[in-house]
Amino acid sequence: MKLKHGTFSKTLIAAAALMATLGVQADTLKIGIAGPVTGPVAQYGDMQKIGALMAIDRINAAGGVNGMTLEGVIYDDACDPKQAVAVANRIVNDDIRHVIGHLCSSSTEPASDIYEEEGVMMITAASTSPSITEKGYELIFRTIGLDSLQGTLAANHIQERIQPQRLAVIHDKQQYGEGLATRVRDILAAAGTETVMFEGVTPGDKDFSALIAKLKRNNVDFVYYGGYHPELGLILRQSREKGFDAPFMGPEGVVNSDLAAIAGEAMEGVLATAPKSFDQSPENAALVEAFRARNEDPSGPFVFPAYSAIQVLTEAMRATRETDPYALADYLRANCFDTTIGEIGFDQKGDLTEPTFEIYTLHADGSKTPVSK
Amino acid sequence: MSETTLYVLQQLINGLTIGSTYALIAIGYTMVYGIIGMINFAHGEVYMIGTYTAFITIIGLLTMGVGSLPIILLLALVTAVIISSTYGYAIERVAYRPLRGGPRLIPLITAIGMSIFLQNYIRLAQGSRDLAMPALISGGIQFGDPEVFEVSLSWMQLIIWGVTLVSMTALALFISRSRLGRACRACAQDLKMTNLLGIDTNRIIALTFVIGAALAAVAGVLLGLYYGTINPYIGFMAGLKAFTAAVLGGIGSIPGAMLGGLILGVTEAMTAAFFPSEYKDVVAFSLLVLILLFRPTGLLGKPDVEKV
Repeated sequence: MKLKHGTFSKTLIAAAALMATLGVQADTLKIGIAGPVTGPVAQYGDMQKIGALMAIDRINAAGGVNGMTLEGVIYDDACDPKQAVAVANRIVNDDIRHVIGHLCSSSTEPASDIYEEEGVMMITAASTSPSITEKGYELIFRTIGLDSLQGTLAANHIQERIQPQRLAVIHDKQQYGEGLATRVRDILAAAGTETVMFEGVTPGDKDFSALIAKLKRNNVDFVYYGGYHPELGLILRQSREKGFDAPFMGPEGVVNSDLAAIAGEAMEGVLATAPKSFDQSPENAALVEAFRARNEDPSGPFVFPAYSAIQVLTEAMRATRETDPYALADYLRANCFDTTIGEIGFDQKGDLTEPTFEIYTLHADGSKTPVSK
Repeated sequence: MSETTLYVLQQLINGLTIGSTYALIAIGYTMVYGIIGMINFAHGEVYMIGTYTAFITIIGLLTMGVGSLPIILLLALVTAVIISSTYGYAIERVAYRPLRGGPRLIPLITAIGMSIFLQNYIRLAQGSRDLAMPALISGGIQFGDPEVFEVSLSWMQLIIWGVTLVSMTALALFISRSRLGRACRACAQDLKMTNLLGIDTNRIIALTFVIGAALAAVAGVLLGLYYGTINPYIGFMAGLKAFTAAVLGGIGSIPGAMLGGLILGVTEAMTAAFFPSEYKDVVAFSLLVLILLFRPTGLLGKPDVEKV
């Protein structure tokens, strides 16, 4: 008898708990935010996180979406493709149907396969590799321009404004960096500027003295670097020490304050293509204030794209009165959205119809100024 | 001098710099192997802890307003050596001594476990981002014809050579002249016999761990300042390279570790000089395979006599 009583009360408690969860689920909509929280590029994950969470908080403060409150759930993929797959599976298991992320292209690519298959909508605010949207996915979108366009922009700038005699293109052998570097080299070759040195470095390497000696020997007068800031920072710092002072240019993967910390004075004057500084545009002034009030830095390249990803997602939910990813995807493709990164629309592949990159000069104090056209 | 000569000279300078730090770390592998015949795979982590200690000391001194470069360098070296040696001693005491006498495979596995533990412990305590060392020492000497090719030898490279030379000489003198050094050599020859003769072999083994850790810490301070950034994962690659250097020179032999480090460093620099630089690790480790195939005892190693 005693045993039976125990089982019964346990069942009661379980039933009550189940009802409680169901009750919460009815008015909370969880949105996964997947990106590196740890690892060497965690600061980019922060940018995405603060942008997305700010949008969620502001939308909740304004009454939520279709009577639901949004909740951002953070997942850490450490920018590691293997962990990204694990994270994607966890998101699917946690019954989350909408994801902002992932961040690194090499993580986004394997993860997006899983999302597409399991009917989860993913909007990346940071992955710029063209191949991600090449597979004809239905549910994968991005609120950032493509690598290929960044490469084109950089190559045109080098061809028209820099006109180097002896150009070197260096990359980190990763999908993002090598893809960009190859594109820059090919466009320039077609335009008649030969690359005298095209070489990869090992990500995580610390010693670039041999590479720098080779750059010096080849009398290189301009370097395009495809990759991320930890290696470029060291290359710049060690170049300065070894008396190699040709100007450098990089993609948005190098644009963050850690580059300044690593490279110090050697960073002054480095050129970079990056999404437009949305924190500078007057329409976003109030939002920038809100970030500053929370002691967060709104100047990172992925903050506003992440914010806008939440904006378009909720906008589509409001208009369709649904949360079903397939209905939302149809709506996203068919309409234009007014967001913090300007008026945007999506093409069939899920890419932005009009991407938003600009060329900047980076400064040793970590700030950047647009290069005048 | 022709352009190629100057270029090769430049790469030789780069290679010797990196090679001397490999040699410093390799001593730790080779001494431990020489005495107890195990590979201490946590040694790379001790090096990494050395760089972190130096980083914290340097930042601490700079915030306290200490501006004198020699004092900063000296204190960074001293604290790094003390902390790393403590770790080296503790690792031996906690992870290896209780297992001594057991099958050889078991300490090897604890070593790998220790390495993973230390790496993640530093990652949790210090964060996993790259930390930038303040640029304390800049500039150097430029020579050669600026029209042809200008060779640069930075002060930092000279300091690395100098400190390595001093540490190696001190080690060689200690091993060949002091009583403890003689005990170390005796242990390497025959551990059981040395014990029978009344030498506390556990103390000597602990000492080799401490010496190895201290030299790794010196390498850590030097490389941290030379490269400019540190993160919790640097110990893995540095450890692997130094281990390669130790095997190349003949594991168990101290002069072999020094020679192996220099050869490995120069090989890497020359590979990067004349082939795409992404191949330098490929060549470095192919060298290891070749040496093991054709000279399994390494360049200066003695053939392993089966001890009865």
